[in-house]
Amino acid sequence: SRQGGLSVLPKDTAAEFSVRSRDRTYVVLAGQVLICRNYKGDVDMAEIDHFMPLLMQHEEEGLVSPVISHGSVHFLWIKHSNLYLVATTNKNSNASLVYSFLYKIVEVFTEYFKELEEESIQDNFVVVYELLDELMDFGFPQTTDSKILQEYITQEGAKLEVAKSKVPTTVTNAVSWRSEGIKYKKNEVFIDVIESINVLVNANGSVMSSDIVGSIKLKTMLSGMPELRLGLNDRVLFALTGRDKGKTVVMEDVKFHQCVRLSRFESDRTISFIPPDGESELMSYRINTHVKPLIWIESVIEKFSHSRVEIMVKAKGQFKKQSVANNVEVRVPVPSDADSPKFKTSTGNAKYVPEKNLVVWTIKSFPGGKEFLMRAHFGLPSVENDEAEGKPPITVKFEIPYFTVSGIQVRYMKIIEKSGYQALPWVRYITQSGDYQLRTNV
Amino acid sequence: MPYLGGKEAVKELRRALSNPNIQADPLRYRNTVLRVIRMMSQGADVSSLFSEMVKACATVDVVQKKLVYIFLCSYATLNPELSLLVVNTLRKDCQDPNPMVRSLALRSMTNLRLPSLVEYVEQPLTAGLRDRAACVRRVAVLGWAKLSNLQPAADLDAAVVNELYSLLRDPDPVVVVNCLRALEEILKEEGGVVINKPITHHLLKRLKDCDVWGQCEVLRVLQRYRPQSDDELFDILSLLDPSLVSPHPPVMAATLSLFLSLCSDLPAVSLAALERVRGPLLSACGSSSREMRFAALCHVQLLLRSVPGLLGEHYKRFFCGYAEPAFIKQRKMQVLVELVNDDNVGMLLDELKGYCTDVSMDTAQTAIAAIAVVQTMRDLVWVCPQCSDTVCSALEGCEETLQDDQGRQALLWLLGVYGERLTSAPYTLEVFIDGVRSEASLGVKMELLTAAVRLFLTRPAEMQDMLGRLLHFCIEEERDMCVRDQALLYYRLLHCGIEETRKVLQGRRSDPSLGVLIGRQAEPISQWASSFNTMDALKKAAVETETASRGSPEHVATKLKADLDLPKTLDCCPDDALHSGESDSFSRT
Repeated sequence: SRQGGLSVLPKDTAAEFSVRSRDRTYVVLAGQVLICRNYKGDVDMAEIDHFMPLLMQHEEEGLVSPVISHGSVHFLWIKHSNLYLVATTNKNSNASLVYSFLYKIVEVFTEYFKELEEESIQDNFVVVYELLDELMDFGFPQTTDSKILQEYITQEGAKLEVAKSKVPTTVTNAVSWRSEGIKYKKNEVFIDVIESINVLVNANGSVMSSDIVGSIKLKTMLSGMPELRLGLNDRVLFALTGRDKGKTVVMEDVKFHQCVRLSRFESDRTISFIPPDGESELMSYRINTHVKPLIWIESVIEKFSHSRVEIMVKAKGQFKKQSVANNVEVRVPVPSDADSPKFKTSTGNAKYVPEKNLVVWTIKSFPGGKEFLMRAHFGLPSVENDEAEGKPPITVKFEIPYFTVSGIQVRYMKIIEKSGYQALPWVRYITQSGDYQLRTNV
Repeated sequence: MPYLGGKEAVKELRRALSNPNIQADPLRYRNTVLRVIRMMSQGADVSSLFSEMVKACATVDVVQKKLVYIFLCSYATLNPELSLLVVNTLRKDCQDPNPMVRSLALRSMTNLRLPSLVEYVEQPLTAGLRDRAACVRRVAVLGWAKLSNLQPAADLDAAVVNELYSLLRDPDPVVVVNCLRALEEILKEEGGVVINKPITHHLLKRLKDCDVWGQCEVLRVLQRYRPQSDDELFDILSLLDPSLVSPHPPVMAATLSLFLSLCSDLPAVSLAALERVRGPLLSACGSSSREMRFAALCHVQLLLRSVPGLLGEHYKRFFCGYAEPAFIKQRKMQVLVELVNDDNVGMLLDELKGYCTDVSMDTAQTAIAAIAVVQTMRDLVWVCPQCSDTVCSALEGCEETLQDDQGRQALLWLLGVYGERLTSAPYTLEVFIDGVRSEASLGVKMELLTAAVRLFLTRPAEMQDMLGRLLHFCIEEERDMCVRDQALLYYRLLHCGIEETRKVLQGRRSDPSLGVLIGRQAEPISQWASSFNTMDALKKAAVETETASRGSPEHVATKLKADLDLPKTLDCCPDDALHSGESDSFSRT
């Protein structure tokens, strides 16, 4: 589970500055390695030079794999925006642990720089180096919690005033994710319950698979060291306590922020914790159930070779009349050689996006139970494109506020702090589309 | 940009670094140091600034210190003598009241990787082990591991090893885990850290305090432990149970790995553990990260070798998404083949049929996807004979998308064996036969011969003419010995009469159910347990698919039971010694 080194490479290969410092801490730009840290010194970091050519070769052959080997050296890589993050090892490492770590790096960097991309690495490379030093030592992951890291590595520290030599409390604190002495004038917690639904519908209209991925996010603005307790309509909890009223939800794959006392959850399903300050994801879960697709699409796509494509799409809101889906986007694929689009919609706007070979039909506000129609007409050239084209599915994006598809509810949020202040919890529910695909016949 | 100035820029920086006015202004001093690092990162050789940078580390500014240390660690091996100058500053920093400075100094000291510095580093490292700040202890512990990498283990003081053992009881979980890691490294000659009963129980107790990385480390090390009694074993297993269903795939996998090693003598318990991880494993297969998904799929393939029925009812989870990369689609299809049963075969084939034409834009990927699908279908009839009808109907129309030899071989095999139910089979074969002159692949030609003879047996009227043409070409014009031999063999066989030919070509080896019995028995877990949760799992599966896709399943089966089948071996492997013997006798004509 140990990595010899870590490299970040830009995806677009262009001009190069190959730099190599003896300690094998490489920073190479554009086409070459951008940032490189050799943690152990057991893999020659010049090996990374083999990565790009190998990757390109494999891509050409259509045999790309997340593990690329060169002799005894293995590259485990992930792609993020315009970057490749590559871990180099010559051990028979635990691959999933390495990938987790690479994704962790992406997560930490993203929290620091908003976007992780070539520019942000170049603009912040001092912080990047500092972070790489804290994230891993001698090939072993060390501190990877970005809340803790932010306590002592700040972008301001690298840019402006002389660094305070203040010792961050979290380094020595029992509660590593929260500092002492936080103060707010008004004590509030904002709770967001966000559910994404993933749906795959076959061309004949049968739902092949569906599930819900939920996430409970907090924005904590509380003074001191508050103790919080969150109550949900969790079916296991209700069964434990003998209550059996109202709708309950069975959650799977529940993941908690490290602040939640897992032992308590395991014994009596209580979600109790001292929250991190500011924004954090408290928990995530998955519900593997048959969901009725909230927005149902029926499509008829008729392709008349050498002349035209006729598209008819019907969208139906299969949710309660009181709810409204916002910013609905139905993305319908069209052949890459289609031209002269014409649209007709019963509501909303249709737009042709030629660079993606899509018609995007946007409906700002889509009430439950309603049904809308869109017709599109495209011309096709008389000389046919002989390149094989796939059958991309129709995808849908939407957001329904004040509603969770699973029916999960926050029953209570108790906030106790020794100073005894009153604090207000605010709850907001949103259901949105996740991976929402409907296959078509054409 | 300044770094393009090269030497001039370095000179200018040297002047700035030695300028007393700049040195007196903390902000300007730091910015100058930052410019040096920026140049270094951009590729310029700034090693000549070493002595100026050494001076720049005498500062109270932590950020400047970090920058200088980045520089020093990069160039220390080039300037071992000058590096000695840094040691004093570093040692002084090890006494700093700020624990961040202390840990930074310790880490940098050990990262210089200079054997000549070892004697200066030992004392601060020893002190670091007893530091009151956990962040310093973390660095110090790993520092000893780095040191033991620089010098032979024998030189390392036994007292240090003892101290590291006692730090396994440190209140900070990262220190505990780092101790394990350091001891593994330092004692690697002796087989790593000693895992006895008290240490095991202590580590298990602390498991919950560790983060994901720490947990995986502990779980891995514990694989060396052998419980002394069944009671102890089951106590440990029940302690580990929550980790077995951990939502973090690496923890789940590490726990399962430990379970399998602890229960190597208890197959029933191992099987129960595999059942238990089904949920977490399935959710890992649906992870949002494609690499995690890939790793999970590879591990699913391992598990299925021992528990073929583990995921049967969840086959829909392995349907491919449109935009998924080829490496995931291929794995999913391989898994799908394993999951086929009477109930889902129709659904499964429908889905696979979709993949044949529902391909992504990239042409290389298109071919790969189609090949994988056809191979999958071929394997499917091999595994599940009753579904051949459905496969046949699914086959129609996919021959155009196939461009690769292996895919075409698989298709030909299917056409030969199931061509009687496929109206268009002779026409598809005819296209191949008409193009045989320009066919480059040996494997395709041989598979084509077999397919044509086989189909002739079931549909003689349609096949006779084209089979004649094919045999004529292969015997008279073909340059390759293997192909010619095979054609001659079939030619003679046909002379012996239809019944003889039928006996050979539709003999028992062609019975797919036999293949199931031979090749697809559930394996004992121990076959793959050692490669579980390592990179081997990702690679091994790849190698297997490669061999499996070489030819038709018969070829694979033949190799497995070569002894039994020798007299009837007709499959022409160019490297088959027996076959070349046979061919000698035939090519005398």
